[in-house]
Amino acid sequence: MDTFIQLTINGFTLGSVYALIALGYSLVYGILKLLNFAHGDVFMVGSFIGFGALQLLGGSTAPKVPTWLLLVLITLAAMAGCALLGVAIERFAYRPLRNAPRIAPLISALGVSFFLAYSMQLMFGSEQRDYDAFSLSGGALFFNGFDIGNVRVPLLRIVIVASAFALMIVLWLLVTRTRMGKAMRATSYDREAASMMGIDVDRVIVFAFVLGSALAGAAGVMFALRAPTDVAIGFLAGLKGFTAAVIGGIGSIPGAMAGGLILGFAEAFTQGYISTRWSDLLVFVILIVFMLFRPQGLFGKPDIKKV
Amino acid sequence: MKRAMVLALVAGIAAVLAASAVARPTATTGTDAQQAVSCKSQLKIAIVTPLTGGAGFLGNAQLSWAKYAVKRLAPGLGLKVQLLTGDTPVEQGPAPAQALAQKYVADQKVVAVIGPATSGAAAATSQTYFAAGMAHISPSATRTSLTKGTPREGTPGFFRVVPGDFIQGPTDARFMVDKLNAKKVVIIDFQEPYSVGLADAAEVVLKARNVQVIRLSTSVRTTDFSSLVTRTPSDADIVFFPTQQPPDAQTFGQQLIEQGKRAKVFGGDGANSPAQFKLPGAYVSNFAPDISGIAGTKSLIDGWKRDNPGDELESFGPPTYGAVQVALRAIKAACVANKNVLPNRRAVLRKVKQVRIPNWILGGTFRFSTKSNDPLNAKFYIFQIQPNGTYKLVG
Amino acid sequence: MPAASATAGPRIGQDEWVARSAERRGGRGGRWGVLEARLRVVPWWAWLILFVAVVAALPIGFESGYVRRVAFDTVIFMLLALGLNVVVGWGGLLDLGFVAFYGVGAYTYAVLSADRYDLHLPIFVSIPAAAVVGGIVGLLVGLPSRRLVGDYLAIVTLFFFQIFLTVSNNSESILGENVAGGPNGILNVQPLSLFGRELPVSHEGIFNVAYLYVALAFFVVVFVALRFVNASRTGRAWRSLREDALAAELMGMPVNWLKLTAFAFGAGVAALTGTLVTALNGSVFPQTFEFPLLITVYTMVILGGAGSQAGVVIGAIGISVLLEALREPGDSRFLFYALVLLGLAGTLKLSRKLALVLGGTLVLGFAAHALAGAIDGSWTAGAAQGGGRLGEWANEWVVVPGDIAGWVTPVAYIGLVSAVLTLTLLRGRTRLFLLVPTLYLAAFVWENVMLARPEPTRFVVLGAILIGVMVARPEGVLGEKRVEIV
Repeated sequence: MDTFIQLTINGFTLGSVYALIALGYSLVYGILKLLNFAHGDVFMVGSFIGFGALQLLGGSTAPKVPTWLLLVLITLAAMAGCALLGVAIERFAYRPLRNAPRIAPLISALGVSFFLAYSMQLMFGSEQRDYDAFSLSGGALFFNGFDIGNVRVPLLRIVIVASAFALMIVLWLLVTRTRMGKAMRATSYDREAASMMGIDVDRVIVFAFVLGSALAGAAGVMFALRAPTDVAIGFLAGLKGFTAAVIGGIGSIPGAMAGGLILGFAEAFTQGYISTRWSDLLVFVILIVFMLFRPQGLFGKPDIKKV
Repeated sequence: MKRAMVLALVAGIAAVLAASAVARPTATTGTDAQQAVSCKSQLKIAIVTPLTGGAGFLGNAQLSWAKYAVKRLAPGLGLKVQLLTGDTPVEQGPAPAQALAQKYVADQKVVAVIGPATSGAAAATSQTYFAAGMAHISPSATRTSLTKGTPREGTPGFFRVVPGDFIQGPTDARFMVDKLNAKKVVIIDFQEPYSVGLADAAEVVLKARNVQVIRLSTSVRTTDFSSLVTRTPSDADIVFFPTQQPPDAQTFGQQLIEQGKRAKVFGGDGANSPAQFKLPGAYVSNFAPDISGIAGTKSLIDGWKRDNPGDELESFGPPTYGAVQVALRAIKAACVANKNVLPNRRAVLRKVKQVRIPNWILGGTFRFSTKSNDPLNAKFYIFQIQPNGTYKLVG
Repeated sequence: MPAASATAGPRIGQDEWVARSAERRGGRGGRWGVLEARLRVVPWWAWLILFVAVVAALPIGFESGYVRRVAFDTVIFMLLALGLNVVVGWGGLLDLGFVAFYGVGAYTYAVLSADRYDLHLPIFVSIPAAAVVGGIVGLLVGLPSRRLVGDYLAIVTLFFFQIFLTVSNNSESILGENVAGGPNGILNVQPLSLFGRELPVSHEGIFNVAYLYVALAFFVVVFVALRFVNASRTGRAWRSLREDALAAELMGMPVNWLKLTAFAFGAGVAALTGTLVTALNGSVFPQTFEFPLLITVYTMVILGGAGSQAGVVIGAIGISVLLEALREPGDSRFLFYALVLLGLAGTLKLSRKLALVLGGTLVLGFAAHALAGAIDGSWTAGAAQGGGRLGEWANEWVVVPGDIAGWVTPVAYIGLVSAVLTLTLLRGRTRLFLLVPTLYLAAFVWENVMLARPEPTRFVVLGAILIGVMVARPEGVLGEKRVEIV
């Protein structure tokens, strides 16, 4: 039973991070029908920006501000930095290819992903960066928390899951309650019609990238709080985020959230009960199964191709 | 389609005929005639190690000590030696090592190679080096099958100055049983050669001593070990964690504590890094004690620190110094035996095995074993991490 | 000439539409157009023979085993590029698992020829067998392509790649001991043997140039065979599939079958290449078949022009040489400055603007160097990597600090990337003005950052080339311009 509870907690934590990444994918795919391969690397950059901010603020052993403020600041820094990065990527690597054959922006995305990952390695080397959240407040984040039976739920995990959900709720409000959000949804249904109705499609797309990348940056910080980051994590993380988006229904926001959690649980339970060897492969298997048999995911609508 | 196939067939036959015509053994294949090199001219040795990529910290440490060794030792032996550097990032597999092997073999002035640092690169290039008569002395390739057993991956041209995994795995395992009274041990591997080799070696010894072994595996790219930790039974005593990335060992240990498991982390020489792996109570094994504790090395260390201000003393560098020392001595011996002219690289290769170095940087006297190209009587040392983060020798 | 025919009136007996076809295909005007038109008359096989002759004569000029080995590696890349061209260029399918087929071929040959398994099949059996196995695997991977398009298909192929990586790295535990060697790979693979005589892979460790000729033979066969396939019905069907799959299906093309054959052919070529490399290396390791290799081959195909065999061959040669040069600081420095100069000359043409920009950059450089040296001696104390005459000159012109502070590298690099991107947004005089400091910054970053770390630099360059080519000239060097019909 303890194992089950522990694995559930693991699943929640993993799933929240995946959900944030998945949202970024969903937002961009919904409008551009483009698989942004570089999204995972934006996530990676976010974790590095967070690390840099952490060092600027004194590092985890001697921080200059209280812990909670520290976490907020580094997350904001990562979100801002990644948003900027996302805008740049869209402007220079994807916008010129808006009307090109579909294979073109995909290849460009591959190039961006590669470029980002190795640029980071060029600048910062490929050693792992450890946030060392363990040392913050003398381990408070690890040792405080509440207990479920014999299993302790550390404060850090609660913080991560809660912030992820908060961000998702903010996003959902943005998309459903604001004009820009409405414009985004309209553009995702039919780009040409939306532009004919007076919506500035370019602005909408930039907005989508800003939101998606900011979420990826936040996800990066949350991930790195628990495990060391290095320049190579982007690709796999992006893939898992994409899988989560497909499971939930790409283009659907509640779907991305659900998909992320489902994937997190699937991974945690498979690793916990079956084997840790195949976890990377498992992600792919789930993805393929969904893509072949239910491409619209759990919450999406079947995509009818208009001729 | 039919015409196409016929024509393709014809083209193919023609091409193959042409090729086989060229492929006679008597065809010249370039500079296969080895030219003699004077010992007074500038000789070259090459170091083959990962200078960039995930294992870059290892390569750069090795490079700094290799440079230091050449600077300090060559003049004393009357040799002018230039050190060439070859980068073999671990992420790119054996390809860079193979390209570098070709490069160094083609350069007549290169008379010995330090490395390859990684066992994979050594396995991929030993044949090439040996065919060219080039001695390759590695300070860190520890895979057992490079010098022992069948199929043997290393050639008689491959030497190493540190003990192989066939010593590390069992040493660690015996320590766990004898000194730590472990009854239940979790062994983790990362689906790559180093960790799988170590894990297998340790598992054999542990099972023979009736210890319950749980074997887990994960990808080398994993950094979040929550699920592995969850699978670790609460009553396990030790988790053997042969990673090559010290921060992973630190994270894993922290996550063990987070989930309330009492097992202690036991790392291999790849986890050796006081700066990054500093979890109190954990264990690390390494092929060298901290050399600052060895008598007679003080001036050596001071000299290195002067050349490398701000760098920490760690464990991969000093064996490289030793490897260079072996190489230089072999070169000198070959020069002496051949009246100051090296007829070819094989002359150097022949002298390597006989090198004997008192006041070895890693302590004691260095000799090669007669049975294999491993050091004689080499041992692994076990450290425990103290509350203040320092490593203390315990076994 | 296209320009002339546009103004000439209608001619008797000439189909106007056919006559204007060159114009529509985007042929160039002016001097280049004339040259291009003349070169186009030369039959393709003449180019091929010329090319093969040049490569075959290389070993006469270059005796170093290393250079010959690089030539061999380049031919291998050419083969891989040809294979990928079938799937991406002719079929229009994004196959991200291509390198796995390469691996399948390598492993198959290894299993059939290594000491460990003691099968030692003759190469006339093992090499075709490996190619066939590769083709079959390609077929299997192509099966999901029936239901999936574009990005989704890319993911499925990536999935297959992941399976291959996992299986090959973990084969000890999946397939049992000693089946495929696991992460340690398979060693002691026999070299090629023709008609009973073994072809040694090296003489005294130095690459045996006979293997270069064997590779060249493979290349010729594959090039010719693929060319004939492309000229046949299948090739024409592939073109229609690529241009508009829906229309092709409506016209009765067996779209699914076509996709499968594209996959199979590409995979077969890749597998064939794998056998050759395995024979030469005498071993196969799972770590060889990783994602960076995939991106490398893609860059070659995209740069050269997907859809054009000659193009991808040129792309392969260019990238292969570039990558090899990047290993050596002296060579790569030369390449860097040469390419920058060529790029400038290409965009600005030989004009006053070019002289101004170059002059300005040189002056800025010397001024900055003098200034930096005056402020603090250690700022110019460092030595440019690699030495050589160009290196010494670079030392005088570029600020090479003895010790770089940690923050300088990221700031300079990000600054350079931002400057280059901004340049693409500007026009006219502002652009020229910004060009000067950007060039100097580029030299600075190159000398201090990229030369010191050649490995990430290679991939950064590849990524940049991919993006740049797709954005600026998606058809690459020799490809055909494609227009998406919506």
